[in-house]
Amino acid sequence: MPDWVEPIARYILTEGLPGTLQVSAIAVVGSAIIGVLFGTLLTIDFRPSRALIRLYVEVFRGLPILVTVFVVYLGLPTVSRSLEFSPLNAAAIALVLWGSAQVAEATRGAVQSIPNEQHEAASALGFGWVGRHRSVILPQALRRLLPPAVGLLVNIVQNSTLAQTIGGIEILQAAKSQSERLTFFPPAGIGEIHAFEIFTGVMILFFLISFPLTRLAAILEKRLVV
Amino acid sequence: MLLVTYDLWAFVSEHWRELLDGLVNTLKASAIAIAGSLVIGAVLGAARAHRIPVVSQLTAVYVEIIRNTPILVQIFMYFFALPQVGIRLDGFTVAWLSVMIWGGAFNSENFRAGFEAVPFRYREASSALGFSPFGTFLNVTLPIGGRISLPSSINTYISVIKNTSLMYVIGYEELTTTAINISNLSLETLEALSVLAIVYLALVWSLSAGIRVLENRLALPETR
Repeated sequence: MPDWVEPIARYILTEGLPGTLQVSAIAVVGSAIIGVLFGTLLTIDFRPSRALIRLYVEVFRGLPILVTVFVVYLGLPTVSRSLEFSPLNAAAIALVLWGSAQVAEATRGAVQSIPNEQHEAASALGFGWVGRHRSVILPQALRRLLPPAVGLLVNIVQNSTLAQTIGGIEILQAAKSQSERLTFFPPAGIGEIHAFEIFTGVMILFFLISFPLTRLAAILEKRLVV
Repeated sequence: MLLVTYDLWAFVSEHWRELLDGLVNTLKASAIAIAGSLVIGAVLGAARAHRIPVVSQLTAVYVEIIRNTPILVQIFMYFFALPQVGIRLDGFTVAWLSVMIWGGAFNSENFRAGFEAVPFRYREASSALGFSPFGTFLNVTLPIGGRISLPSSINTYISVIKNTSLMYVIGYEELTTTAINISNLSLETLEALSVLAIVYLALVWSLSAGIRVLENRLALPETR
């Protein structure tokens, strides 16, 4: 292997990969918590809350995620200084807004797919609304959510590359800056273009992360079909 | 304290020409990509559903590569990596080509599912009527399976339109790039973001509404 490969691969894996993982982790946890909460609230027959959450879901599912990234990174700081975020955090917040909208919609479907008898039986056993959902409805609904949740995880990891557009150092940005550095003359670079090899490597890296997960989602989906 | 002035109307009336050009570029790239991914999806989806050797396996590889890598990395490949091997594509070509290849992969899965949902007895009946295998596909599988896959393929087209915003990274002047570039100069950030949000939501929401109408109009008789 040529000399330039090793330091670049190391840079992408030690500087870029943690950025991707940081954004993905925040996005997954945030989307899951907010999404399940909003999705459950969507099933309640209370118009004002339902209308507000529906608007939230439709807006953040409808906007291109890149636009949401710009709203968080460029838009919020003009409203208040306290809403200034680092590129990685801004991307993570944008992915939470988008991901929670996806999860909310999926949760609503899953909760409503639980037969009404389950609600009635739980009420007959003396559960209130919270206890009924926490102990009876959501445990069943969340199992139906498992395959789409794995699919969402893949999407979040892939969309974490959007942090690159605002300068967040994740895998893609690390690869881009290194491929540009190589084109400089020594000592900074080696005066050669290796963009093709480097971005092919990035594609392989993402494929290695995503492919097992998309297989898993497909297997889970088959297992749930009775 | 930050001084925030917000005047959407002044922003639009000053920059509507550039913004309109940007929107036209977004729509142009989207239209080509949607038409292309429709053809790619129908042809490769048919190959997959009918398990045509070689083509079917190659399609599976194509779909897995596109599905399991970020589209942003794919755009980087076309624009920043291909010139190294002597293939130079301009911004507009990358704009429609990248989302077409992406949409085609997802669409071939949509069409495969639609074609596979056509009951086998329909095709049997068709060959009993004397249709050749290709005639059966054209007259039975395509119209019925195509309708089954319509909602999911329209969802793919909506994503295609949204993904053209990613051409920001290659500087192609579609709507997002245009609006952000204006706001970088004029500092009317909130106005520019408002225009983006309004236009994209109008496009996406009207297409989603279109799906619902089409679903009712084109539903197969037994499911209506």
